[in-house]
Amino acid sequence: MFLEIKDLSVKIENKNILKSLNLNINKGEVHAIMGPNGSGKSTLANVLAGKEDYEILNGKINFKDNDLFDLNIEERAQEGMFLAFQYPVEIPGVNITPFLHSAINSKRKRMNEEEIDNLSFAKLLKSKASDLGINVDMLKRSVNTGFSGGEKKRYEILQMSILNPDLAILDETDSGLDIDALKIVTDGVNKLKTKDNSFLIITHYQKLLDYIKPDYVHVMINGSIVKSGGSEIAAEIEKDGFQKFQ
Amino acid sequence: MNIQDNYQKNRKNIFFSENKDIESHREKLINIFENDSFDRKNNESLKNINLKNFIDFKYKYLIPEETSVINNNQENNYSIVSVNGKCSTFKDDKIEITKILDEDYNDFSENNTIEKNDHFVNLNSLFLNSGFKIVIKRNNNIRIKISNIVTDDDLTIFQKNNIICQEGSSLSLIEEYENKNNSTSNILNVIKLEKNSQLNHFLIQDNSSNHNLIITSHSSCKKDSTYTQKVYNFSEGYVRNFHYSELIETNSEADLQGIFFLKDNNTSNNKTFVKHLAEDCKSNQVYKGILNDRAKATYFSNTHVDQVAQKTEGYQLSKGILLSDNASYFSKPELKIYADDVKCSHGSTIGPIDENAIFYLRSRGMSKIAATKILISSFINEELSSIDNEQMSEIIQKKLVRYLSKVK
Repeated sequence: MFLEIKDLSVKIENKNILKSLNLNINKGEVHAIMGPNGSGKSTLANVLAGKEDYEILNGKINFKDNDLFDLNIEERAQEGMFLAFQYPVEIPGVNITPFLHSAINSKRKRMNEEEIDNLSFAKLLKSKASDLGINVDMLKRSVNTGFSGGEKKRYEILQMSILNPDLAILDETDSGLDIDALKIVTDGVNKLKTKDNSFLIITHYQKLLDYIKPDYVHVMINGSIVKSGGSEIAAEIEKDGFQKFQ
Repeated sequence: MNIQDNYQKNRKNIFFSENKDIESHREKLINIFENDSFDRKNNESLKNINLKNFIDFKYKYLIPEETSVINNNQENNYSIVSVNGKCSTFKDDKIEITKILDEDYNDFSENNTIEKNDHFVNLNSLFLNSGFKIVIKRNNNIRIKISNIVTDDDLTIFQKNNIICQEGSSLSLIEEYENKNNSTSNILNVIKLEKNSQLNHFLIQDNSSNHNLIITSHSSCKKDSTYTQKVYNFSEGYVRNFHYSELIETNSEADLQGIFFLKDNNTSNNKTFVKHLAEDCKSNQVYKGILNDRAKATYFSNTHVDQVAQKTEGYQLSKGILLSDNASYFSKPELKIYADDVKCSHGSTIGPIDENAIFYLRSRGMSKIAATKILISSFINEELSSIDNEQMSEIIQKKLVRYLSKVK
């Protein structure tokens, strides 16, 4: 099993958010989690990425034969986990290019791979940015600073394509995107899909899933997955909302 | 030993003690010390320090054996090594360096820009034992680097420098303070900018933990002149930076910036004060601090806009990052506006490093320590990238790397 979440319960500030959650993802699969506001979708994404604000009450997570709780935030990233943030953080003064260069090399170092030099990285970055319709001028700017909502999301996907993760978690990547931006972002994701990597897509709406076809759709209500199935569930939600699952 | 006895005992080594007017002023200063209640609450020069250590001092001054060196190493570029506050005289067609004279002695105890009863300024006036005067002659464009060297332990340097930029002149001045001995330097810089002149003044402070550095400056700007001051404090010893600017004629500007990097038990007190006394003048006061361990800092900023100073633009900003729960930074911005057509602002933000930014960077594979360092660098990136002097930029980058290497 690539990612195995077993009986996971999590709380923050005395509020139980995830309750005995179970989820298995195999290599090469695309899973979508849909759920209403406040159901715990983003908490799951943050817990997987290692955010330290949460208290793990119970459960286990295995990722690529590692106990995920034994790995800190950066070790998870270096092992191939990537979270595309719902609200990417603006970091004025930190230039995108050296930041991403340092990020890819920290991963390569852990994998005992040779570090990528400046020139090769610049070429790689330029070509990936061009695939995503990102202007080269944007690469001279600070991380997410002064970006529009669409630019931030596109930039998350650029980072993802550079880091080439084994498991990408997309936390409401569709929110705040117009239809053209959504197409660019989802095209970027589809280009990255291989039989060796997996995706966990968190969304409210079916629209995103029209562009990225999931193998499995899970409905999350009140911290637990209440139904799992194929893409027909997304259609059901689009038609009737989440009410019937509650 | 009380101030009176200390002064009388060392009088013969102190500048201008034969001048009756100056002596009578000094008597007044001694009276202030003897009668002041040293009210810490209302006197900003007393915050965070034990003044007793500075008043009950053992006076010691050595006339340096090694003479100072002035090199005109490239056209319009001068380097000066000032030893124990002294500098040789020098004259060419562009600059002139002389001793300070009786007439250069200022009575700052009554100046209403400098805080009333700033005891460090009063101590400087009282025990003055060194200093020099630099004049940049009309319409010259000059670069000067001054290395301020203190030769021995236990010295008490009371130094006063006068810097005059004559009409149309431009000066880039780098001052380095890098001393490792157990001494105290109390320095007062009095800076005058004549019409249409410009001074870019960089102060790099990097003393060891047993060296106290107290710097006060008073600058006045005439029509169309600009004074820019950038202070970089990497010292492990106590540093006080109090800088006062008066914009006395139209279209003049003062830009007072500082960054301090503190750790261990170090303390730094900072103050900037700009007084707008004419129309169409601009000022900017920005201080940023990074504090680790049990370090403490204060920053007082003040923009005073006189009623004649219409169309003033005056901005203040104070920012601090606390890298430890035991570090503290007290900031107090103030605006006093007596004109009605002005644009002024002030702001202050102090807090720990942004945890969301750390999480974001770590989630891309960067270690916590690397993320912390990159965020500290980004915090001062704007100030560092605006240094247009390559030599300065290199010096500051090296010192920043050294500071960051100690951040855990």
